[in-house]
Amino acid sequence: MTTEYSRKIIALPPNRKAHWRESLPKSLQDFEKGSIDLHCGEWHLGCRELKQLTDLIERKGLKIESIKSRVPETVVTASALGHQAFLDTSNRPPENVSTEDQNNQLNGSKVLFHEGTLRSGDHLNTAGDVLVLGDVNPGAKISAGGDVMVWGCLRGIAHAGQWGDKNAKIISLRLKPLQLRIADAIARGPDEDPTPGLAEEAILEDGKILIRPTKSGSLNKINTYIS
Amino acid sequence: MAPKTRTILICSGKGGVGKTTLTANLGIALARQGVRTVVLDADFGLRNLDLLLGLENRIVYTAQEVLEESCRLEQALVKHKQEPNLALLPAGNPRMLEWLKPDDMQRIVKMLAEQFDYVLIDCPAGVEDGFKNAASATEEAIVITTPEVSAVRDADRVIGLLNTQGVKPVQLVLNRVRPKMIANQEMLGIEDVTDILALPLLGIVLEDEQVIISTNRGEPLTLNDGNSPAAGCYSNIARRLQGENIPLIDPSKGGKGLGDKLRRLIQTKIF
Repeated sequence: MTTEYSRKIIALPPNRKAHWRESLPKSLQDFEKGSIDLHCGEWHLGCRELKQLTDLIERKGLKIESIKSRVPETVVTASALGHQAFLDTSNRPPENVSTEDQNNQLNGSKVLFHEGTLRSGDHLNTAGDVLVLGDVNPGAKISAGGDVMVWGCLRGIAHAGQWGDKNAKIISLRLKPLQLRIADAIARGPDEDPTPGLAEEAILEDGKILIRPTKSGSLNKINTYIS
Repeated sequence: MAPKTRTILICSGKGGVGKTTLTANLGIALARQGVRTVVLDADFGLRNLDLLLGLENRIVYTAQEVLEESCRLEQALVKHKQEPNLALLPAGNPRMLEWLKPDDMQRIVKMLAEQFDYVLIDCPAGVEDGFKNAASATEEAIVITTPEVSAVRDADRVIGLLNTQGVKPVQLVLNRVRPKMIANQEMLGIEDVTDILALPLLGIVLEDEQVIISTNRGEPLTLNDGNSPAAGCYSNIARRLQGENIPLIDPSKGGKGLGDKLRRLIQTKIF
């Protein structure tokens, strides 16, 4: 979490000012061999493009430790290509923010909406809350600094409060996960099937994760985002 | 001028679930319906589409020579002996894996698209370069899987990757379905699979021993009008691809065993 300070950062140029294909080779000359973090900003990168981009960087002898982007699709692409990928939802990197600050900040409007199914091998990572409109399939992983909400079936792995927020929750219409994590606690998913038609939430109580039917107030947070 | 060529990737992620068998049977079935079809073996490391089609001994040139421009495309294409509408473009030697780039694949497919209505690409197993090269050159995809958790998991990963590459539509074929085992809840049901993969189901292929026999003979099942259960399934898939509205068989309903299934399949064929 703190390595960010010691590693150098390659940031792509802002989307409309210049294309990275032109500007990147020049700016790469300033870097010496070593590990770097790649910040993709607003760039929407597909598999092919991102591969070309990382090839370009790796040819200079640089090792990409992580990829950060503001675009969820790019994050998914980066994880698909086997990189450590993060979604950038704030102006400041989340590592520099203490948990309290983060909570204050998150009570503002930092929720990430992801529409579509997260499939095996995908990893969605965000600093704030996340709301998935779709399923999270087995083999997929979703990590959030705040709450994880899945408007669909959660069959994969979910990590809420990944930077230590013990009040974080995992809510799903069908909670059938392989594994649940809240802050530092880890639990296997339940063996029996969830009751159909009943949304459930997982919370942390006395260091243990427990699952219970969702209370009507649990999703109020979303209403405030939407309104 | 015929409508636009459809390029379809047939992939699964996991090996051994029936990609090559589907490619061969679908190719024959489409050709028999009168559309000009070419099957392209993109599994350069472990090629065997030519074996299944019984064309191994007719190969002179391969995709490799075409790319190197040491032969014309027409010279490399192997016409099927009984179905002249079907041609095979064989894979080159396994060393192609080292130098083949997405651009090369796109070039080949573009050449094929000029002469055929359907280009079926038999994808290698895995999600590495071989898969990515093949996916870069195609517009549509058929993901084939079996009702097993590992196959479904791999298919899920492949679908995710196809989405990031902008391949669509992606349709699903469920292979090696055993209605009896599903009825006894010993096998993943069709809904269990479609629930997770969330794709339109293009077809179901029943488990059938004839597939093994036909594979070893190099004569795809769809070549003859026999009444093997799997052959009917393959032809139905081909007809659905062509836009015909053929209802899916429902293994959970009615069929007490393969016998009933068979009888119903024959009946559907008459209409």
